[in-house]
Amino acid sequence: MLRIESVSKRFRSGNFGVRDLSLSCGGGVLGLLGSNGAGKTTLMQMIATVTRPTAGRIFFQDVDITANPDALRRRLGYLPQDFGVYDNLTAYEFLSYFAALKGVRSRAKIQQMLEMVNLHNSAGRAVGGFSGGMKQRLGIAQALIYDPDLVIVDEPTAGLDPEERVRFRNVLAELGAAKLVILSTHIVSDIESIATQIAIMRRGSLVALDTPEALIRDSGAASLEAAFLHVINQEPLPVAAGAVA
Amino acid sequence: MNDRLERLAAVVRADVLIRLRRPSTAVIFLLLSIVPYKWIPEVSTGRTLIEIGGHRALYNSAAIGMGTAVLATFFIGLAGFYVISNALRRDVLTRCGYVIASTTMRGSEYIAGKFAGNVAFLTLFVSGYMAVAMIMVIVRGEAPLEPLVFAKQYLLLLPPPIVFVSAIALLFECTPLLRTKLGDVVYFFVWIGLMGSVTAMVDNGVARSWTPYLDISGLGFMLQQTKIFYHAKSLAIGASRFDPAKPPFVFEGFRADSLQWLVPRIVATLWPMALLLPARLFFHRFDPARVRAVPNEQTRRTWLGRFNLLANPFARLAGQLGRAAAAIPGLPHLLRAAIIDALASLSAFPLTMVAMLGIAIAATTVPEQALFAAVLPLAFAACALALADIACREKRAGTTALVYAAPTLRTHFVGWKFASTLLVAAAFLAIPVAKAIALRPASAASLLIGVLFTAAAATTLGILSANPKTFIVAFLTFWYIALSDHGRTPSLDFGGWYAKATPSITLTYAAFAAGLLLLAQLFHTWELRRSW
Repeated sequence: MLRIESVSKRFRSGNFGVRDLSLSCGGGVLGLLGSNGAGKTTLMQMIATVTRPTAGRIFFQDVDITANPDALRRRLGYLPQDFGVYDNLTAYEFLSYFAALKGVRSRAKIQQMLEMVNLHNSAGRAVGGFSGGMKQRLGIAQALIYDPDLVIVDEPTAGLDPEERVRFRNVLAELGAAKLVILSTHIVSDIESIATQIAIMRRGSLVALDTPEALIRDSGAASLEAAFLHVINQEPLPVAAGAVA
Repeated sequence: MNDRLERLAAVVRADVLIRLRRPSTAVIFLLLSIVPYKWIPEVSTGRTLIEIGGHRALYNSAAIGMGTAVLATFFIGLAGFYVISNALRRDVLTRCGYVIASTTMRGSEYIAGKFAGNVAFLTLFVSGYMAVAMIMVIVRGEAPLEPLVFAKQYLLLLPPPIVFVSAIALLFECTPLLRTKLGDVVYFFVWIGLMGSVTAMVDNGVARSWTPYLDISGLGFMLQQTKIFYHAKSLAIGASRFDPAKPPFVFEGFRADSLQWLVPRIVATLWPMALLLPARLFFHRFDPARVRAVPNEQTRRTWLGRFNLLANPFARLAGQLGRAAAAIPGLPHLLRAAIIDALASLSAFPLTMVAMLGIAIAATTVPEQALFAAVLPLAFAACALALADIACREKRAGTTALVYAAPTLRTHFVGWKFASTLLVAAAFLAIPVAKAIALRPASAASLLIGVLFTAAAATTLGILSANPKTFIVAFLTFWYIALSDHGRTPSLDFGGWYAKATPSITLTYAAFAAGLLLLAQLFHTWELRRSW
């Protein structure tokens, strides 16, 4: 479904955001783990076609999206990190705006998404008065309004209360059954239960790509969190072109 | 509706709603709506709206329509730019732009949508203002209200500035160097220069064949019609003195009965749209490699940012001074906090310290005339740019709660911000003002009150609007009027540059400064009760 071939992103300063990264994966939930500055967000932005790689290519369902980004954009749901809102719009207006940009015209769909993220009772309220968690839920709703084939969510559970986190995890797990979900987070427990594959990044490179069980087993750690710490504190693993079906 | 039109309509609708619902829009609208009341005085006061050769124009729909439309042109040209120049920045800061970039929406569609949003908002704003201004025909009119005649004056004057400002605001937002505070200043001079030079050329008949097409403000159009149809060389608009002995004349409004008049206005409305092409060219499409949610002056991506970073040794010096100030024993807490805040302001943008140094050197080396005519006005303008964001920095950075947690700053926020603004102003102006006082001791009070007034205005407008552009546009407009006046009107000599301010004028500015600070304190107290 998604194939990344030797992708690099070098900024004008000369620093690499991502360096020679390759991976491929089918459906399911791909959890992206890494310390701050590891390159997770840059990688997600390249997959989301927000920024272009300086080298390498990315394929989604065998279409080169670096050359033809619109092929993916029609099937993509993206929630960036630290997503903000337009304070003076109501939740309904905000979601309608993004629905229109994505070509969704159905009012029922907007209402359905508001119900899914539990904001239907606040649909007429200005989002400037929303709590951080409510704003995040609105961001999640706009990402999913399109019925996307690929969902990219960057730190989606930041600001959500435990109940909402569980609710959102379940939504992503359900989506992952038929589609590809790429989820980046610092909270290991958020992906432990739902990720079918986990990619660990360090300094712009992929240092591990495996199932959660295999990562725990291979590192000899007791939990995924311990396995993650074990991996990022090691020398880079030779993951040239990790492939997990 | 096809997908593209639907997307375009969504962008326009969202932009208009966001802006119309901003409390500052209502405040600006109310303030602007009050101005015609002063702009169109009672005839019994000896002043009138339109004066030609000592004759006053009868207060009919055409005269009041034209007078208020001219006012709207000034507003759109100056304040309008600053009101709408955050269309892209909003999407960058909220990161909604990343989502937009991940859709199939073309960059040109987005730019067209934002442009249409700007035009729609300004048109709605002007239409509302026009409706309110029509009331003046009922209040002061000497003839019945004719809505179509009234609206015709707006239609002939306003479309070019609305389109021009909508397009150039986008161009500035898309262009790396111009999307900074520098761009705010550059635009001010672009508008003033365009308005002044084209008006002068149209009026004097220089290059008559093409200048009317560049007459965005419509002032040249107005002067030409006055010259041709009223055989007058000069025209005064807005609270102007007239000769009561001379009979009033009936102003019939702008004429648009021939292509000679219509075509230049249409062309002046259309050509500014060409500015959208370079805007599209420079548009970053929210690519994080080209734009980030940090000010441009703090990145290496712009020349300004690079120069700023070169000035970093000054920032380190300011940081060290700040730490030293914090360690002074016995210093009142508020003063200590103000010193630290002032030094933080300077270290956040180290180029200001280079500017301060340049002003100090210029002030000490130039002769007296150049000091008063050039160095002092320039120092005030440069100082204003440095003061603009001190009082609104916390709100914009989202650190208000952090500051309010510090002892006394919550309740004494206005005093703290005024003190730090005054300290930065003193750092800019101390040397030129000290030399000016030494050369002309009689101007000491007006010079010092000028500094106080500037700092108080920066503090109050920053606190009220939470936007540095409010102070920049208000101050630069006032500064430009005072500078162009060359001291002919003593009441405009707020900074004592022309030694024309009388003690009562100086006292009035001191009272204004106090009044502004009181207003800021009242607003702050209300805001604390409402939100904190």
